[in-house]
Amino acid sequence: MVSVTIKDLTKQYGTCVAVKDLNLEIKDGEFFVFLGPSGCGKSTTLLCIAGLVKPDKGEVWLGNELVTSPERDIYMTPQKREVAMVFQDYALYPHMTVFKNVAFPLEVRGEDKGEIMERVKATAELLGISQLLDRKPGQLSGGQRQRVALARAMVRKPKVFLLDEPLANLDAKLRVKTRIELKKLQQKLGVTTIYVTHDQVEAMTMADRIMVQKDGVTEQIGTPDELYNHPSNLFVAGFIGSPEMNFIDCTLIEEGNRLWLDAKEFKIPVPAKIVPELKSYIGEDLTMGIRPEDLYERESVKGITQKNALRMTADIIEPVGPYLLLHLSKGRCPLVARVKETTARIGQEVDIEMDLSKIHMFDKKTTEAII
Amino acid sequence: MRSPKPRRVILYILLVFSVFLFLLPLWACITTSFKTVKDLIYTTPVEPPLSPTVAPLITAFNIMVRPLLNSFTFTVAAMILSCLLGSINGYILTKIKFRGSNIVFLFFTIGIFIPYQAVLVPLVLTMSKLGLYNQIGGLILAHTAYGIPITTLLFRNFYGLIPDSVIMAAKTDGAGTWTIYRRIVLPLSLLPFVVAAVFQFTSIWNDFLFGVVLARGSEVQPASVALANLKGTTEFQWNVQMAGTLWYALPVLVIYLILAKYLIRGYMAGAVKG
Repeated sequence: MVSVTIKDLTKQYGTCVAVKDLNLEIKDGEFFVFLGPSGCGKSTTLLCIAGLVKPDKGEVWLGNELVTSPERDIYMTPQKREVAMVFQDYALYPHMTVFKNVAFPLEVRGEDKGEIMERVKATAELLGISQLLDRKPGQLSGGQRQRVALARAMVRKPKVFLLDEPLANLDAKLRVKTRIELKKLQQKLGVTTIYVTHDQVEAMTMADRIMVQKDGVTEQIGTPDELYNHPSNLFVAGFIGSPEMNFIDCTLIEEGNRLWLDAKEFKIPVPAKIVPELKSYIGEDLTMGIRPEDLYERESVKGITQKNALRMTADIIEPVGPYLLLHLSKGRCPLVARVKETTARIGQEVDIEMDLSKIHMFDKKTTEAII
Repeated sequence: MRSPKPRRVILYILLVFSVFLFLLPLWACITTSFKTVKDLIYTTPVEPPLSPTVAPLITAFNIMVRPLLNSFTFTVAAMILSCLLGSINGYILTKIKFRGSNIVFLFFTIGIFIPYQAVLVPLVLTMSKLGLYNQIGGLILAHTAYGIPITTLLFRNFYGLIPDSVIMAAKTDGAGTWTIYRRIVLPLSLLPFVVAAVFQFTSIWNDFLFGVVLARGSEVQPASVALANLKGTTEFQWNVQMAGTLWYALPVLVIYLILAKYLIRGYMAGAVKG
């Protein structure tokens, strides 16, 4: 078990930049998630750590050992790195039984037969695949294959686990179940784990810390809580959370000694708390963000005193189960509110309150967060 | 019982007729092999022999046995070598990316299209220099070299179907290039090996040109060359020649019958997609 440090990592494929100047420090025993849309360089970063891809520049450290550095002509082969990887398609060896698959990393290392037998059995026990040891991968279900892939990665007690979208090929129900089991397993083993996914729910539920990547560039690194409550830019704010944050384009204006956010269809008073931060942006275009759960229907709210109700039309009401999603619009401005119950009817108008203490403000030009 | 549709009936008649036409020469070959010289004159080739005899078969066998063994030796050797080398080439070209691998592959592809006739003179010169002229080793070398491009192409296409993630998994599991080939790639190669082996066996066995320039009249001359010499100098011994042809065709027939079974099994078990 080691920490993983990445310095100035860059990898280009032809003219396409997969990873650019990535700096990262993953602590010993941490469950770290690379999150981002497809083709944003997450997997490339992972492959660089595994040694399966040689970066163009930068350094990869496993603990105190420098394993990759094109500048210093250092490159340790994946065979020697003591990292284990689980691939999205599981990459099981189709001609070998489950036992042989799991035993493979040990056999290659020349462990003795008794030791191999013991460890494969113990790992199979841990993952609940003991009854499958004589089968071939072709005879297994998706969930079982996924476990075999995990067992093969775990059996040799690697320093770092690299998981590349390991749940992507499972059905929704199994994915949720496996997510929890994987998290438990990681806590039990305490192995430094790097997990790649494009699913923000997976990232939020499992990670100690998350790095959000887009087009090879790091957007933000932080705990799930930090990313959710303090996104550092529009991309992170939009990517984390489901349904996603509402964004309203507006201009900051001063009127009657107060600051207002003018969104054409309506005007929202700027809460006194954030006035100091916003003061320098008067006259500029901003983007306001508010999460669906911070919008309320007026009738159902008690104790919110701001006079900032928006009269909007309910377009669609989605009953999700524990809550409802109200898809609202006013002119060309759409909003989604997440409410417990509603009196609204489709096509009718409804008064919506905003919890102004929860709004996020972004500079429209730079897309960076202001507060 | 439902009566078959007229279109079906016509189809079957056509098919039976085609099969009949196609098998007629083989039939003539078999009947002729059992005929005496007298029968050759009194019957047409497709008629059965009047007084069947195995004498032509025995005569032909005695002449052909040595060349057949020669052919068998160098065919099997060259087949195994070219398949193994093709497999290794295919693995390197698909799974170990190196600078210029596409150009190397291009050269392999060009190799497929070089006609035998174009290389005869340099081939003979090279073999004499190497001391392999009129040697079984020369035939093995020539056929192996000539087989490598096509087997490489075949294995390369097949290995393209093995997901890269499987190779990457093996690498992180600690396996080196050669171990990956031996433990992962080779065991998954039953299907291309059967296909390549059948192809190579047939084309090497049936080759006449290399045999005739590299080993004509020698101790090691191939069966194809011996068969051509079988027709005799003073008279046409059709019965002996046909019998020789039967002996010559037998191994290919047997190989096909054995391997066709594996070929189908290979298709069923060869599904790499896990």
